[in-house]
Amino acid sequence: MKLSGSLVSRSHRALLLGIAAVSMMAAGSTAASAAAKCMKGDREAPYTIGWANIYSVPTWMKQTEGTISDEVDRLKEEGLVDELMITDAQGNAQTQIQQIQSMIDANVDAIVVIAGSSNALDRVISDACEKGIAIVNFDSLVNTDNVTAKINTDSSEWGSTAAQWMVDQLGGKGKIIVMNGPAGISVSDDRRKGAQPVLDANPGLEIITETNTEYNVAPAQEAMTSLLFANPEIDGVLSLGGALSAGSVLAFDRQGREQVPTTGENARQFLELWKEKGLSGWATMQPNWLGALSVYTAVQALEGKDVPAFVKVPLPVINDDNIDSYLERADQFPADGYIYSDYDQALFDKLLAQ
Amino acid sequence: MSVPANLYLAVQRRRNRGLTGLYLVVAAFLIVYAFLFPGLLSVNGFSKFTQNWFPLALVTMAQALMLLNGGISLAIGPMVSLGAVIAAVTMGGPFGVVGGLLAVAAVGLFIGALTGGIVAYLRLPAIIVTLAGSFIITGVALILLPRPGGFIPDWFSDLLAGHTPVAFGLLVLLLIGWKLYIATPLGLGIYAAGDNPVGAFRSGIPVERVKVVAFAISGLLAALAGLFVAAQTGSGDPVIGTPFTLNSIAGTVLGGVAFLGGKGTMRGAICGSLLLSVMINVMFFLGFPPVAQYVAQGLIIVGAVAIPQLTSQWRAKP
Repeated sequence: MKLSGSLVSRSHRALLLGIAAVSMMAAGSTAASAAAKCMKGDREAPYTIGWANIYSVPTWMKQTEGTISDEVDRLKEEGLVDELMITDAQGNAQTQIQQIQSMIDANVDAIVVIAGSSNALDRVISDACEKGIAIVNFDSLVNTDNVTAKINTDSSEWGSTAAQWMVDQLGGKGKIIVMNGPAGISVSDDRRKGAQPVLDANPGLEIITETNTEYNVAPAQEAMTSLLFANPEIDGVLSLGGALSAGSVLAFDRQGREQVPTTGENARQFLELWKEKGLSGWATMQPNWLGALSVYTAVQALEGKDVPAFVKVPLPVINDDNIDSYLERADQFPADGYIYSDYDQALFDKLLAQ
Repeated sequence: MSVPANLYLAVQRRRNRGLTGLYLVVAAFLIVYAFLFPGLLSVNGFSKFTQNWFPLALVTMAQALMLLNGGISLAIGPMVSLGAVIAAVTMGGPFGVVGGLLAVAAVGLFIGALTGGIVAYLRLPAIIVTLAGSFIITGVALILLPRPGGFIPDWFSDLLAGHTPVAFGLLVLLLIGWKLYIATPLGLGIYAAGDNPVGAFRSGIPVERVKVVAFAISGLLAALAGLFVAAQTGSGDPVIGTPFTLNSIAGTVLGGVAFLGGKGTMRGAICGSLLLSVMINVMFFLGFPPVAQYVAQGLIIVGAVAIPQLTSQWRAKP
């Protein structure tokens, strides 16, 4: 298994994207074409949607699947969709090819996919596109442009916005620790690279050291605990994702150290600690509703509407002003899950109108 | 003339006996699949299905060779990745597709033979040597191609993984090749050396050489599976092969090849891999949710191994 169980919580993208993410930069500049790609206009509602997942086990994936089936239920009521077929490649890109082939064989009308490899799916996806199937690819992207639409946030912007917040918090001066996801994983690399220009522009901000751990609480807490012993003065923690921040806050707490400004992602545990410990925090997210948006986009394209080839989803920001609105809804999300921002059809229409 | 022919048939019948259950299960799955997806019986449907099965069939053959030898390889998946990477890196180069093909074959044979040499002559356990090998090979693949990429000419992709059953034809050729190989002394030696190395040695079988050749062929098959995956996907990916290690073992054992060596058939292993592959498609067309697929997959595998056992016990009773 490529995706080991030890990397459970946030690792989905880390590993899946491991090799993938750069492609989105290339696609980012593409302008909307005259008619939605792959569409031949020969398919009629109600549509059958295929959801080709690479790995269904991590919590983030389960939540994402939740938004997909919610969206399908909504579209069913409108009479636009009649069936959702779900596959799980169990981390195996080769299996994913086989399952997408089966979706083509079953003549589904749309395929929504998180790619297990940026290259491996290119041919089978092009085949599907040729058959007039709407292909919407999100989160972990493929290289080929033979898709109806690609949907993602910008990892580089993730890093730069987080770094800028830290600069503002500390007035451009102070000692910080940077916490990264696993080394050699593109989502982790891209976020770190995005932070670099901001850090370069603010030489007053001194990086004491950096950590590379899996996107889980325990390894992050362990790494931060030993850093706390070695460094009496830490002014901020620039944590770049997953549950790393929760590990950091816990480490500060157990050592009896005063909490410092901390960045992070929308992991429920981090948001709760943030409020409970009263620290000043900032977080963004890879919204789970990218899945729902993908289904919506596919149906829009099937309905003959034009959709942009690349939908860049702005990163929703959580800060001290709006964190309460997230925590209010916390009990609707799993304890090890992610509290994503609200979404509705109006938001989707706005994103597609870009 | 009739005596040897009868003997041959009798031996084959005995070798097939433990596999009847598996044959029936595979046949049942294929019938259900064809019923759910009649397009399977068209040239295009058959081609696409066999293309998705083909690399698994190759690595299962590679693993079956190892198990028959009394060993096991944990480096099959990384070898697939390396094969794919070499194909994707070289085929765009000055020597083109032929150069790429030769490079992949040469690397597969060389790494296989080297591993075999270490196992046979230094008397180290295959599981340790191939485990170490898997790290090295993965590393080399990542050095050659740190991110998915490279290039496979379209015509080559279309030839192997287009709308014609070329992959299936290659599999048939490989099986014929295997039949011919086990008719040679070195080929026969695989079974003898795997079952009882000391006895085989005393009977004059060059046990070490048998091992090295078997490892080399196994490496070649895994690397060629990688070449095929590269052609199928149109590019190279340095980690795409990883899941093949476990799946190759699953297919082989499912096919009735014994872990302890010397017992089992290549046709069984091929059937095992076919079951693993067709199972995925049948579950899709039956509309199983992913969670049920995990459970069903486990049950099917246990069932396919247990049914022959149970029937033989049942048969043994008076």
